[in-house]
Amino acid sequence: MATLTRQDLNFGQVVADILCEFLEVAIHLILYVREIYPSGIFQKRKKYNVPVQMSCHPELNQYIQDTLHCVKPLIQKNEAEKVVMVIMDKEHHPVERFVFEISQPPLLSISSETLLSHVEQLLRAMILKISVCDAVLDNNPPGCTFTLLVHTREAATRNMEKVQVIKDFPWIVADEQEVHMEEAKLIPLKTMTSDILKMQLYVEERTQKN
Amino acid sequence: FHPLPWRQRGGYMAAKISKLEEQFQKDAPREKQKDGTSSCIFSGVAIYVNGYTDPSADELRRLMMLHGGQFHLYYTRSKTTHIIATNLPNRKIQDLKGEKVVRPEWITDSIKAGRQLSYVQYQLYTKQKGLNYSSVCARGKQDPSSIHEPSKPSLNHLHIISEEDAERPRVNGIHDGDDDDVDDNACALLPRGSQDTLLTNGYVHPVNAALKPQDSFAELQLHVVDTGSHQSHLPQTESRDREEPSCSSSGSKANSHQRSLISTASPAKQPGLHSMQKDLHPKPTSNPGTSAAPQKGNLHDQTRVRLNGSYHMTPNSSTLADSSNPPGRSAAGAEAGIISEFFSRSRLHHISTWRNEFSEYVNALQSRSRAAGGAVFSGQEKLKKLRANCSSGVLSLWFMFVRQSCILHVDMDCFFVSVGVRHRPDLKGKPVAVTSNRGPGRVAQRPGANPQLEFQYYQRKQQHNGVDLDLAALSMAEIASCSYEARQAGVRNGMFFGRAKQLCPDLQSVPYDFQAYKEVALSMYETLASYTHNIEALSCDEALVDATNLLVELGVTSDDLARAIREDIKEKTGCTASVGMGSNILLARMATRKAKPNGQYFLRSEEVDDFIRGQPVSSLPGVGRSMSSKLTSLGVSTCGDLQQLSISRLQREFGPRTGQTLFRFCRGLDDRPVRSEKERKSVSAEMNYNIRFTQVEEAESFLTNLSMEVQKRMEGAGLRGRRITLKVMVRKPGAPVEPAKYGGHGICDNFARSVLLAQPTDSGQLIAAEAIKLFYAMKLDVKDMRGVGLQVQQLEGSYADPSGQGPSRGRSIKDLLLAKQPLLTNSEHTFLVVCILDGLTGPSSSRAFSSNQERVTPPSSPPSTSSDPMPGTSKGGLHHPHTPNHVRTYLNVSIEVPSPSQVDQSVLEALPVEIRKQVEQSWRHREEQPSTSSHLSTPPRTSSSPPPGPSLGTLVLQLQNQPGQPCTTGIILELPDVSQVDPEVFAALPRELQDELCSAYRNKGNAQTENVQCPSSPSTDVPETLSKFNPRPVPTLAGAYEFSDIRTLLHEWVTSISEPMEEDILQVVKYCTELVEDKDLEKLYLVIKYMKRLMQQSSESVWSMAFDFILDNVQVVVQQTYGSTLKIT
Repeated sequence: MATLTRQDLNFGQVVADILCEFLEVAIHLILYVREIYPSGIFQKRKKYNVPVQMSCHPELNQYIQDTLHCVKPLIQKNEAEKVVMVIMDKEHHPVERFVFEISQPPLLSISSETLLSHVEQLLRAMILKISVCDAVLDNNPPGCTFTLLVHTREAATRNMEKVQVIKDFPWIVADEQEVHMEEAKLIPLKTMTSDILKMQLYVEERTQKN
Repeated sequence: FHPLPWRQRGGYMAAKISKLEEQFQKDAPREKQKDGTSSCIFSGVAIYVNGYTDPSADELRRLMMLHGGQFHLYYTRSKTTHIIATNLPNRKIQDLKGEKVVRPEWITDSIKAGRQLSYVQYQLYTKQKGLNYSSVCARGKQDPSSIHEPSKPSLNHLHIISEEDAERPRVNGIHDGDDDDVDDNACALLPRGSQDTLLTNGYVHPVNAALKPQDSFAELQLHVVDTGSHQSHLPQTESRDREEPSCSSSGSKANSHQRSLISTASPAKQPGLHSMQKDLHPKPTSNPGTSAAPQKGNLHDQTRVRLNGSYHMTPNSSTLADSSNPPGRSAAGAEAGIISEFFSRSRLHHISTWRNEFSEYVNALQSRSRAAGGAVFSGQEKLKKLRANCSSGVLSLWFMFVRQSCILHVDMDCFFVSVGVRHRPDLKGKPVAVTSNRGPGRVAQRPGANPQLEFQYYQRKQQHNGVDLDLAALSMAEIASCSYEARQAGVRNGMFFGRAKQLCPDLQSVPYDFQAYKEVALSMYETLASYTHNIEALSCDEALVDATNLLVELGVTSDDLARAIREDIKEKTGCTASVGMGSNILLARMATRKAKPNGQYFLRSEEVDDFIRGQPVSSLPGVGRSMSSKLTSLGVSTCGDLQQLSISRLQREFGPRTGQTLFRFCRGLDDRPVRSEKERKSVSAEMNYNIRFTQVEEAESFLTNLSMEVQKRMEGAGLRGRRITLKVMVRKPGAPVEPAKYGGHGICDNFARSVLLAQPTDSGQLIAAEAIKLFYAMKLDVKDMRGVGLQVQQLEGSYADPSGQGPSRGRSIKDLLLAKQPLLTNSEHTFLVVCILDGLTGPSSSRAFSSNQERVTPPSSPPSTSSDPMPGTSKGGLHHPHTPNHVRTYLNVSIEVPSPSQVDQSVLEALPVEIRKQVEQSWRHREEQPSTSSHLSTPPRTSSSPPPGPSLGTLVLQLQNQPGQPCTTGIILELPDVSQVDPEVFAALPRELQDELCSAYRNKGNAQTENVQCPSSPSTDVPETLSKFNPRPVPTLAGAYEFSDIRTLLHEWVTSISEPMEEDILQVVKYCTELVEDKDLEKLYLVIKYMKRLMQQSSESVWSMAFDFILDNVQVVVQQTYGSTLKIT
């Protein structure tokens, strides 16, 4: 198989597909683990050869899917720096931020199929880490909600304004309130480096949650 | 083992105890049946044995079985009625207050009496008293002379005074040894009690004799020349020589080439030494310099092997040679040459290198046969013929089925003796010992020595008592090896000759014959190699042979093979060998014990169990004196006892690995392969003979020389190491200043300190610098130093230097950086400037280093020769961290000095002012350049490489013909924009330089100067293209990348050093910073957490502080990058 580089349209597509698929699984899992929604709406599924929890609430699933659908073009063009899942308390103050920091691996290339299984291993490790993250985090106050943010690189925002991937599902600039968190503590969860993707997941947690 | 009787036990323990009880009940009738004599005198008694007892715990268990008692492996307060012990620590006594703690004699006496005697008389201590035997023991130690005065009744004696005689040995805290043991112990009087010592000792005397001024060959032959009187005057002359350290050290500094030092110490004018040399090395030598050269090859192979030559030293001939000089003669260079001379002369040292030589011999054979496409094994052929004659086809068939591995352990019988007597048939069958002393075994005593005290000390160390101390006047030449006839008379290897002579008046002594040893050893190896190349050289007289394939191939039995080998060896060498065979190395070696002398024994797998059970634990490899005494305290003396202990217990006592090894070994399991090539663990050089410093400078120059020796060895072995350990023997406080043995170390305390380098090195300069640092950190009184050793561990092969130049050129800049430190501390005049070099030569050339003014400027060497750094030149260098973030740039300062050696110190002192002026004029704003040079191991730039021509922002300083400056110096300096100054680098600079730079910037009128802060780096600035074409180097800590390596590194760092160096801390901070920038928070988190665990556990509060410092720094970086700090729990 020929070596692909970032220039090939395919490449970005592949990376974006893999990543968005993963993000979807991860977001569902976080929702379950952090008990944002009652556990009753979750079903056990298998992904990356490990059990994961997936919501079966259609509207919630739609929101996640739509958001990721909009994130995908950014990832394709390597314009998304971070995908952040913010968990907020009743007053809409963030208590936790799950940050997926996406960056480029030192050497970009796709050379063979075996690579993908390697990536899958790394993603599985990350999923497993998420499923046990409650051990290192404090409990959230009741009545939390969540939102998804994207930190873009450079001038990507301007393009996002222009092109709406999904009609009537535009990007809006995040509230300062959502982005900024007082006295946050950073808890690194997992870092992965593969040939096509480098990503790390960490949680910023508010020191005083209640 | 701590019984922990008061801890809450879970169900598991309860179950276990009841099971053990059941077992005991089951075994009891069987035991009674076996023994026949049984009774019920102990019914109702349940004992628990604590610690070592005589009879052993096992025996007591048996006795309890026989006589109706109970034996508890675990202590339970409710059930156990008596605790049996002979020696308990204070702590336990307090814990056991109110319990019946009884000596084992109670049981044996009761059995003898046929009834249960009152235990009161046998109580170990009386309840009211806190004092116990151990305190008596302690007092005995403080006042050694009192030990041997029979009656010093103590409080504890009061209730056992009736049997004072029986108890006395134990009062001293020493176990009552069997009479047989006495001799064994006597021969192990020295703390290390090993063969090497005696070999050394053997060597001492002939040399002394040979060194009498004007003596030559003739006298050398009869080297019993009144050693006593000679020795007594040697110390004085020697100390006179020591008073001239300045000459010798300057000699060594100016010229650190060992070879030339050898010639400095050339004994051309010293007939005594010269003739001795001839004697030592039979080949004709015209000049000592050349005679030393061939031996250097051997030196390089030196490693720590069983016959550890580097451990116990033979005297160094040059000192002795000097001491035989008339006092007025200069001793310049002598000291510096000592070490090299020492090792090149030491024959003992040679023997220790032989194993390596033979290993290499075997390797060479193997590779040759590989090259030739198969070797011809003459011995093998012979065996094949033999077999054809016997036509033992059935046997071979049998072997095809039972393809069991078979290891042969070939060991020469009393190697040194049998070689010594092989041309002296008159001595065969007589008690013979190899030693240097041939006189009646008595020598005069030297003033200042106190042999009695030392004997007492060694005896106490050996936990052994009762030997006649009238040894003061006896020869202290030790016996290297003695014949079986002598052994029967009680002579043991390692015994002092004087004592041996008392035991066995017929004892004949044979001198050393090193050449013959080598010949015989070589022909033994040749013989073995004629059968197979699967040989592991263990020492000069023993080897392991993996005969598994050979036997299958030949179709002979192992016994046939062993017989053939032994006959061959006997034929070729005239000496006998014994062969032990077994399915693994351990068993083969154990079988050799049974085979000896001149026999062979195959330890079959079916008899292994029975055999090994009876073996003493000390026969297991790796069980030395300390471990066997620890095992003894656990009630273990044989492998059978050891088998009783669970693996978890062993691991608890001895650590996971040793525990497991013991567990396997005592069952005859051993999976070590026969390795024809062994990996070296360390390279070292030690000297503990004749170390008498009077001044710190002497010690320093000695360390430097020792380092050069280590360097030679490392170069020879093609290795570099990262851990440098300095070992020092210091006279024990209160020990006599002059030990009983001339030039010996006497009673010493051993200290060791080590340091971990960031990069492996083999540079003697670097090692010396580190060693001297360690030496100062130990804060020793040089006058009390008796031995010095340097060891380099964590070896790796030195990579081939592509330029083909000396290893010093291949050194990485980091190495150079490390070299810098001690020079600064040594108050050497150091000038360290880092200057900029960017924007001119393109991205890849941005590099930085600093130059360090060398210590001694050679008087008149032309600049052209200076491209090759002088070994005496110390170069410092700054390693610039490559920060992956491109926003960050460097304060890249480099100074172009044609040759550091050409720069006079005063020039450099004068420089800053000049530079500052010029710098201010030439200030230019420079464009930042991405640096890709972080992994460089760029050799220091020298005049041979064309310096970048002066251009924009460059300044050339021509300092010519200034007073006091012999040479021309061209210096090119550039300074970066202040925004490009990396704060880390800035912080790493010496204080003076920081000030200098600050003022330079201030003069420039740059308002930002004071605040040399790097702008916090939004990662959005990383353009995609850049990251693509300049792959970011992975953050590494001292070359380590994987987390496990990092962890090991940190662990070593924290555990091996009591006080972290600032430099190292900064390295770690830098690494952590790089991790943040590399977006590898997970690793950072792990590293931080690991360090927290390590450092806060450390007893030294300095480490806690170090951790806080690191954490603070990291948090700042994380805060800058992510806006929040790490949560550290």
